[in-house]
Amino acid sequence: MAEQIEAEIVANVLKVVAEEGQAVAEGDTVVILESMKMEIPVLTESAGTLSKLAVKEGDVVQEHDLIAVID
Amino acid sequence: MTSVLARSQSAATESDHRDPLLRLSQLLDVDSVTSLHHPDDSGVLAVRGTIDGSPVFAYCTDATKMGGALGLTGTRHIVTAIDAAVREGAPVIGLWHCGGARLADGVESLHGCGRMFSAMTRASGKVPQISVVLGPAAGAAAYGPALTDVIVMAEQGRVFVTGPDVVKTVTGEEIDMEGLGGGNSHSRKSGVVHVTVGTESEAYSRTRRLVGFFGKPGLYDLSRIRGERNLRELLPDSPRRAYDVHPLVHAIVDAEKGGPVFEELQPKWAPNILIGLGRLGGHTIGVIANNPLRKGGCLDSLSAEKAARFVRLCDAFGIPLLVLVDVPGYLPGVGQEWGGVVRRGAKLLHAFAETVVPRVTLITRKSYGGAYIAMNSRSLGATAVFAWPEAEVAVMGAEAAVNILHRRKLAAAPEEEREALRLELVAEQQRVAGGVDRAMDIGVVDEVIEPRHTRRRLAEALAAAPAARGQHGNIPL
Repeated sequence: MAEQIEAEIVANVLKVVAEEGQAVAEGDTVVILESMKMEIPVLTESAGTLSKLAVKEGDVVQEHDLIAVID
Repeated sequence: MTSVLARSQSAATESDHRDPLLRLSQLLDVDSVTSLHHPDDSGVLAVRGTIDGSPVFAYCTDATKMGGALGLTGTRHIVTAIDAAVREGAPVIGLWHCGGARLADGVESLHGCGRMFSAMTRASGKVPQISVVLGPAAGAAAYGPALTDVIVMAEQGRVFVTGPDVVKTVTGEEIDMEGLGGGNSHSRKSGVVHVTVGTESEAYSRTRRLVGFFGKPGLYDLSRIRGERNLRELLPDSPRRAYDVHPLVHAIVDAEKGGPVFEELQPKWAPNILIGLGRLGGHTIGVIANNPLRKGGCLDSLSAEKAARFVRLCDAFGIPLLVLVDVPGYLPGVGQEWGGVVRRGAKLLHAFAETVVPRVTLITRKSYGGAYIAMNSRSLGATAVFAWPEAEVAVMGAEAAVNILHRRKLAAAPEEEREALRLELVAEQQRVAGGVDRAMDIGVVDEVIEPRHTRRRLAEALAAAPAARGQHGNIPL
């Protein structure tokens, strides 16, 4: 089942760590967000392939915005 | 009017895993099960027994009879078990696999369910009540567990007020039982379930463990705390970097057979705050910790409600609290304000302020603003407040404070000098208002402790405080 990774908090996309098409393990960092003056890593909750990366560095994400899909 | 029930008696129905005696026999100690009533067709079996030798009461709906539906007699058995548990001060456990109230019994069954709810509420805060959902638990069978302290759900467990058919008829939404009320939905979306497990047998073993935390709080034995590690290593070097708080919690609580003695509750719901039962120096404690990895560790409506109910649960049963603080504040936003963060966040303030159990706070990195107060501050009655050397306690972060306090001064400065001035003001602000020294001067932090002494100092502080127990129920906040 595909895992949709959504933003939990309004944030700037500080750094994109993973690449589309890449294999990921559970707990890998996909992107690093910046919010509340903190750098918050966004981690995968399942292993698979990063089939979609919906953000780029400098983007602003709102709560529930899609960040990535793991298949 | 009791009869001893041996496991062999259930031989006739052994092939049916829904047999209530079989289920209760797996939960309770071998050969400890005694029925509280004569066998009947009520759809409920209520018993007394033991868990690890300590007395408990338990009841199980009988899914082999009318889907376990509850009538007047069945609910009466449940009330009998709960009232007996309160009289004897023993935990009471409900095993649920039940379609709700018996239609054939009409309003009489509703009346019975209401009396069962009343009994659960009377017992609330007096004896631990644990519900284990093994199959569908609908309507009254959903609200029964919801009134108890902890809900454990096995993989076949489903909880909903109205099932998929009614949902489809009324709203047109199509969803199956698992999607509507299965473990995934209730562990992540609704927060209804505290512990989600796989098999039934896993549900029983986790329930026995939970009963042990409540029923056998233990004695502090500080000699168990030896060879402490530098827990600072579990946090990132950069104070701006978020991290998962689980390794820190697991390193602070006691270990047993190589693993932490810790049962996290509602781990996937409102994950920006962590709650759970564990042991420190051999004694049961409740742990509450901000988790910076999720939402930066901010408090918000859901996390405040999650923590508030847990604080009141522990207080009601005399379980001391350990509060690990690394919090940037309350989560800002229109959604939070309109969603009632003022009303719902107030529950955490109320919960801590009324709590009488020993409760010790450790500020690891930062504690800002309203969230500082809410996380078991001195002002709300903390037994002791510790901080690690780098901790910052302030109304807000120094940078944010400078941008507000010195807005005009910064605006008036020439463009090329502004950044240097800002950095200077931030350093000054950190020195006078943000560091832990000021917090100690005014008495809101008692002591700065070295991270490697954390376990010992926390255990000493909890052990030194007189035991106490709040006199209140555990309303499902």
